[in-house]
Amino acid sequence: MAMKTESRRILKKLVKNPTAMLGIFLLVFFIIVAILAPVLAPSEPGKDPFKMLPAKTAEGKMIWSSNPIAPDSTHPFGVIGKYDVWYGVVWGTRSAFKIGLIVSIISSIIGIIVGSISAYFGGWIDEILMRITDMFMAIPFLVAAMIMTTILGKGLDKVTIALIIFGWMQVARLIRGNILQAKEEQYVLAAKALGIRNFWIIVKHLLPNTIFPVIVQISMRMGSLVITAASLSFLGVGAEIGYADWGTLLNYARNYMMQLDKSWFAVVYPGIAMVLFVLAWNLVGDALRDIFDPKMRA
Amino acid sequence: MLAFIIRRLLILPIILIGVTLLIFSMIWMLGPERLIGTYVKSPEALKSEKAVERLIQKYGLDRPAPEMYVKWLGNVLKGDFGYSNVGRQGVLQSIMELIPYTFELALYALIPVVFVGIWLGVIAGSHQDKPLDHGIRIFAIIGWSLPDYVFGLLVLLVFYSYLKWFPPGFLSDASMKVMREGPWKDITHFVTIDAILNWRFDILWDAIRHLIAPLLTLSYLWWAYILRITRSSMLEVLRKDYVRTARAKGLSEKVVINKHVKRNALIPVATVSGGMIVQLFAGTVIVETIFARPGLGRFTATAAVTLDYFSVIGAALFFSLILIVTNLIVDISYALIDPRIRLS
Amino acid sequence: MQKKLFVLFICLLALTLSAFAAVKDPDTIVNAEYGAPETLDPHAEWDNASGAVINNLYDNLIKYVGETIEFEPMLSTAVPTPENGLLKDNGKTYIFPIRKGVKFHSGNILTPKDIEYTFERGFLADNSSGAVTLIIEAVSGGEFYTVADWFEAYAGMAYSDAVNDDREPTSAEAKAKLIGFYNEVIDPLFVVEGDNFIVNMKDAFAPFLFIIVKYAGWGSIIDSQWCMANGEWDWKADGWWKWHDRTPEESALHMADAGCGPYKLAVWDQTNNMVVMERFDDYWQGPAKTKTLIFKTVEEYSTRKAMLEAGDADLVLVDPIYRYDFDNNPDIEVISGHPRAQVTSIHMGWKVQETSEYIGSGKLDGNGIPADFFTDINVRAGILHAFNYDALIDDLVNGLGKRVPTDLPEGFLGFDPTLPVYEFDLGKAEKAWKAAWGGEVWENGFKLVAMYNAGNEVRQTACEMLKVYVESINPKFQVEVLGVQWPTYLKATREELCPLYIIGWVADYPDAHNFFSTYYHSNGYYGKRHGGEYNDFAKEYLDPIIDVAVKETDVNKRIEMYAELQKILLENYIATPLYMPQGLYVARKWLKGFFPHLLRSSGDRTPEFYYAWKE
Repeated sequence: MAMKTESRRILKKLVKNPTAMLGIFLLVFFIIVAILAPVLAPSEPGKDPFKMLPAKTAEGKMIWSSNPIAPDSTHPFGVIGKYDVWYGVVWGTRSAFKIGLIVSIISSIIGIIVGSISAYFGGWIDEILMRITDMFMAIPFLVAAMIMTTILGKGLDKVTIALIIFGWMQVARLIRGNILQAKEEQYVLAAKALGIRNFWIIVKHLLPNTIFPVIVQISMRMGSLVITAASLSFLGVGAEIGYADWGTLLNYARNYMMQLDKSWFAVVYPGIAMVLFVLAWNLVGDALRDIFDPKMRA
Repeated sequence: MLAFIIRRLLILPIILIGVTLLIFSMIWMLGPERLIGTYVKSPEALKSEKAVERLIQKYGLDRPAPEMYVKWLGNVLKGDFGYSNVGRQGVLQSIMELIPYTFELALYALIPVVFVGIWLGVIAGSHQDKPLDHGIRIFAIIGWSLPDYVFGLLVLLVFYSYLKWFPPGFLSDASMKVMREGPWKDITHFVTIDAILNWRFDILWDAIRHLIAPLLTLSYLWWAYILRITRSSMLEVLRKDYVRTARAKGLSEKVVINKHVKRNALIPVATVSGGMIVQLFAGTVIVETIFARPGLGRFTATAAVTLDYFSVIGAALFFSLILIVTNLIVDISYALIDPRIRLS
Repeated sequence: MQKKLFVLFICLLALTLSAFAAVKDPDTIVNAEYGAPETLDPHAEWDNASGAVINNLYDNLIKYVGETIEFEPMLSTAVPTPENGLLKDNGKTYIFPIRKGVKFHSGNILTPKDIEYTFERGFLADNSSGAVTLIIEAVSGGEFYTVADWFEAYAGMAYSDAVNDDREPTSAEAKAKLIGFYNEVIDPLFVVEGDNFIVNMKDAFAPFLFIIVKYAGWGSIIDSQWCMANGEWDWKADGWWKWHDRTPEESALHMADAGCGPYKLAVWDQTNNMVVMERFDDYWQGPAKTKTLIFKTVEEYSTRKAMLEAGDADLVLVDPIYRYDFDNNPDIEVISGHPRAQVTSIHMGWKVQETSEYIGSGKLDGNGIPADFFTDINVRAGILHAFNYDALIDDLVNGLGKRVPTDLPEGFLGFDPTLPVYEFDLGKAEKAWKAAWGGEVWENGFKLVAMYNAGNEVRQTACEMLKVYVESINPKFQVEVLGVQWPTYLKATREELCPLYIIGWVADYPDAHNFFSTYYHSNGYYGKRHGGEYNDFAKEYLDPIIDVAVKETDVNKRIEMYAELQKILLENYIATPLYMPQGLYVARKWLKGFFPHLLRSSGDRTPEFYYAWKE
């Protein structure tokens, strides 16, 4: 019951906020593009659509040159590094969602588990878990991700793993802090007195009341994960070459940046896709935070 | 308070050792055959079949991991962090030499990032949900959402290729020559300060000229961050009773914002800014690469990518130390500012 | 008020900026590179960036004439040949009459003793990352690659057993053996008689002079007095092992120079990633034309390009892919098409380790390949005919490549342009595939992993090409393109795990032996990796020719032998070159005096700086 009115309140607030609406609109747009990818940019049957094949000219000849080719009717967004930019941008949407969702959800789950165990049990368990968290936090994120991907090898799946391993600590701390606060509340004490098992107390009573800030954080992180993955590509440890991913496309453009007249399309299209994607998540996240933040409810 | 500080200081070495263990074990999963890759850049350098085995032996990679770790730790306690293949000299020496460069960049970056960020945040916060608020936020988020290398290269294109204002690099060759051959004294190792102390304003100007483009890039990337914190903190304060009272008293909005809101809204910003210096420190990799500046970020990135493990561990240790110490300082100062915070 | 101040500030800024447009220094050449030197110790280096610096600091005994690979005297006043009597005993004794009055940068005068010290120090130091192994191979007549091996053969005990981790002899006996090794083996190899320096080789090795000529950094002559004064080997038999195989920074020469070359080292600034060299005014051939050389490391191509266009760099490294970027710039000169001493090839492992993760099911069932897939000549033919060589050269490297019949670059002894190259012919490929493994391949298909080292775009595209064309022959054929990082690649090739991979070889010296032995000898760097089945084949048909040819001093006889060798290679589809990369020099027009050289480090894109100037 309480949850329902809560959701209605959130929805109402979201609709009233124009930047949030812009964010939601953009997100819906990206979701549609991701779903319709096979229609918008058909891949060759029987092949992994994320591994781009060299583009073909209008006459069906393979393009083997890396030089940028300006947009025309066959390649509406042009060609860079022998790959079709349109294809890359469309399928890159799926890659962006994939990496964002997988990383933020899995790392949040890890964070929630670590955080709630730590906070609920306290004592030496808390001490050990929090020191481990400190250790992971003490290594700069980009450096850690770089080492991991160097060890695991190139590829977006490897990047995902690295980002998960070094991405759960914030959530763990957040959850721990919130649960520590909630632990003192009456209903938890009551549940404890009734002899309900620890696990159920955490799952049923503590988590629901502390989960909203995590949702806000997930939505904020969704966007920046895509940027981090792109930065890793720049440093040579990101997605493999030819993977349908915005960062990979932008990385192709980097060596043509000093002659934008010849290569603008390779920067502009994937760049816009990326900016709008991150923007969308940020706007939604901002709005959610404004709504959830209890201090702001007044 | 004192107990808190002592406790944190006692934990410090444990965490540092944990960090090195973590990275050590990560790297050692690779095995000697792959680790040796950092010393062998091409097949031509492996004419004899035995070259790889010799290298593995020379760098002691064939020993069991615990033995290697203990040996490394023992050397570290003696002040020897190993040979950095990236720095082409000792790890400690490399890091010590690079600290001033990155520190200078990060400190200067903090100024535009924080001040402009706060300024933007205050404007956005005091115009909540008005077009100005949306405009500023979108402007800042675009910076946040552009991969840093794209924006960096655009800055290079505009300010160097077209306008010829801000060249890449650290200093011009002429200034470097002065620094090398004198008259020049290295006092603080911060070139901008040393230039003033040496009374060489041409070099000061040269250093600034090389700093502007990287600073511009870094600032635009980080404005969104400070803006967001300032803005939400502003919104929070704006709802406080004393602000309502002030408004009710009929004070103009400008006075309310400047006198009552800003001061209180900036406390969280101050704490975040302290932690941000670490982020800036580690986040200079790409700016350093694009603008061909020396620095720790680039050093660490190259080391990580080439698996130059001595450098990687050394750099990680250094960053962790900075991070932990900064956090400690931030926590303490936070407690000093706001006595309600309980340190635990 | 604030706004006005701001505008004023911006105006002032713009004003001062325009006033600071720098005058480009005519007496300094700035070279922007990709990589930084590893070390400046000539006996420890084996990379382009180090070699390019060392080349300006040190001189060698002999040098090349201009762009050719003919010799002329340098610190030696004559080039040893059988005709002038300085090359004797069937190629075993080389005599170098040493030039007088040559000054080192320290002010010391060069004597034949310096040269003896140089060679002995290089031998005994034998840095495992360095190229001295080439000299050891030559002087030992091809028998040894390391001093440790040579010691083991002499002493009957492994070097690692004779010297412990702290560089101390393990026993009195070991110590006696170590001292004896120097006195009885190494010392007699390099002898000074009057003004002559003499090398007494263990056995003949035809390419010896190529290994020590100028442009080979490891043949640099160093200042013995400077070295001994700065903590290098004291030239005593007792204790030489203390200087054996050290890490780079332990060498006094790592960041210093003890040469007599046209430039002396001003600074190697590791922090700023640059090397600055100043003209040496007492250089024995007369001072260089330009006063200062600056080598900078600028990793980002866009930054290098912008620096060149702004005139802040005089020459930069440009990848062939960006060959046409400077076409419309009247201030920039592009010279291209000169040959380079390297070949990029497809390698096929005849016998891959059964445990390899890169052969899928390990069977001919369409989900992998058998470990000995490539032993069938038809499989090799099927691959080599299904490759669009012309597209690779014309489109990808913008014409900066040339096809070669076997893995031997143009201009090398034994190179024969009349030999055929494999055509790109899918019909022929299909025929071969149909015949492969008695038709089983055609029936069941396969899944093959084509590997390259990640980051190399040309090799990656080559793999993709293979994928597209091989898969077009039969839908059951699958090729997976896999880019792996260098350390993994190194391990995988070394342990014979890769069925098919693309990599190149850069010449260490301009002799066919460097390529033929590397690629085809059962003990060669690549040959060995091609697996047991290949080694059996090579031992029977190829090794005998390669081993005899390298000792033959009669050039014509060697050419005949190599012709025979190449015939076997081509008939059996063993030679697998993709192309020979060609050079690309990109510099400001005001920089003069460039000529390419096959063997100079970066010699295809940087001038010999001694002869270069700006105007």
